[in-house]
Amino acid sequence: MSIVTLKTNHGSIQIELNKEAAPITVKNFENYVNKDFFNGTIFHRVIDGFMIQGGGFTKDMSQKQTDAPIKNEANNGLKNEKYSIAMARTSIPDSATSQFFINVNDNNFLDYPGQDGAGYCVFGKVIKGQDVVDKIAKVPTGTSGMHQDVPNEMVIIEETSV
Amino acid sequence: MDDSSEKDKEYFLYFLNNHAKKFPNIFILGDLFDWWPGDDTYQFKKIISGLKKLSKKSKLFFICGNRDYLIGKKFAKETKITLLSDHELIQLGNESAIILHGDTLCTDDKNYQRFRQFSRAWISKKGYLLFPKFLKDYIFKLVRKKSNNDKSFKVESIMDVNEDSVKKLFKKYNYPSIMIHGHTHRPKVHRYKFNGINSERWVLSDWYKSGSFLSWKNGKLKNIKI
Repeated sequence: MSIVTLKTNHGSIQIELNKEAAPITVKNFENYVNKDFFNGTIFHRVIDGFMIQGGGFTKDMSQKQTDAPIKNEANNGLKNEKYSIAMARTSIPDSATSQFFINVNDNNFLDYPGQDGAGYCVFGKVIKGQDVVDKIAKVPTGTSGMHQDVPNEMVIIEETSV
Repeated sequence: MDDSSEKDKEYFLYFLNNHAKKFPNIFILGDLFDWWPGDDTYQFKKIISGLKKLSKKSKLFFICGNRDYLIGKKFAKETKITLLSDHELIQLGNESAIILHGDTLCTDDKNYQRFRQFSRAWISKKGYLLFPKFLKDYIFKLVRKKSNNDKSFKVESIMDVNEDSVKKLFKKYNYPSIMIHGHTHRPKVHRYKFNGINSERWVLSDWYKSGSFLSWKNGKLKNIKI
């Protein structure tokens, strides 16, 4: 099990990654962490009672260029429970790149096969800093351009480490 | 189901020919079609024939969902389906049951409820249906293109029902023992006790993904694999 720390402007979140259940997803995530990809990105979509999503946009709401998409490993037995971390994707099952989300509720409808037959791949869980996740989930949000549920005051991932 | 997917359609026809025909009454609780563009559509001809064929053996009933609310009298006439209103009380043996699609219970989604009210209004439906065919086809292609090319990384959630709305609906029909609906994709049986009366709310799964349907046989509800 490897541990990644996200240092945000609301506090630190420690995430235990499950290499055994999601080897491709964990390797992908670690690659982004190791090249400091997430540093300076924001949690751009925050929905209290549902999830907080980040890892793709910079402070000026521009989308970062990512590496190639990865295979969806959602059928691994891990559940989209509260404080689990999972990969975001488009409607194409194997489209996840860098964006991830932390569940702030038991969102079982995202478990494989989910609502679209593919589900969302859980690859770890928050082991420290659940209170920080809770704080982020409750920030006031609004619309920014085409995006909804954007925190009015930015939630920034300042630094990441393995 | 999508008209472009032969697999979807064959699967539904398999259900009609191997399971549905064994039951005297079939209730379809909406969102059978990914999008119903209006009864003058050229799509789903095989499905319409399949339903018409089944109607010779079984009585068919349909409650529209949020994706196929434009289903109307022409479809009903072609398939011999009886269109029901949003909420219907039916008898299952000695039990009463409210059946519905389920979107009317999601009252926390205020944007959707506003849209629903607008789009189901007679004038809105009539207005859309009066569009010339080429315009309706164009709108349909846009809808399909958007769903196929959705490049957004949004993690989406279909809102769950509001429990107060559930209780109000049970109360409106004088606390029947059963409620059956779909829409939320959260299959489960929820149990309630109202003034000492036991009631159950059965949430259907997505028939296609889960490959199952709900049956009433020998006084019991049971999920059956297609």
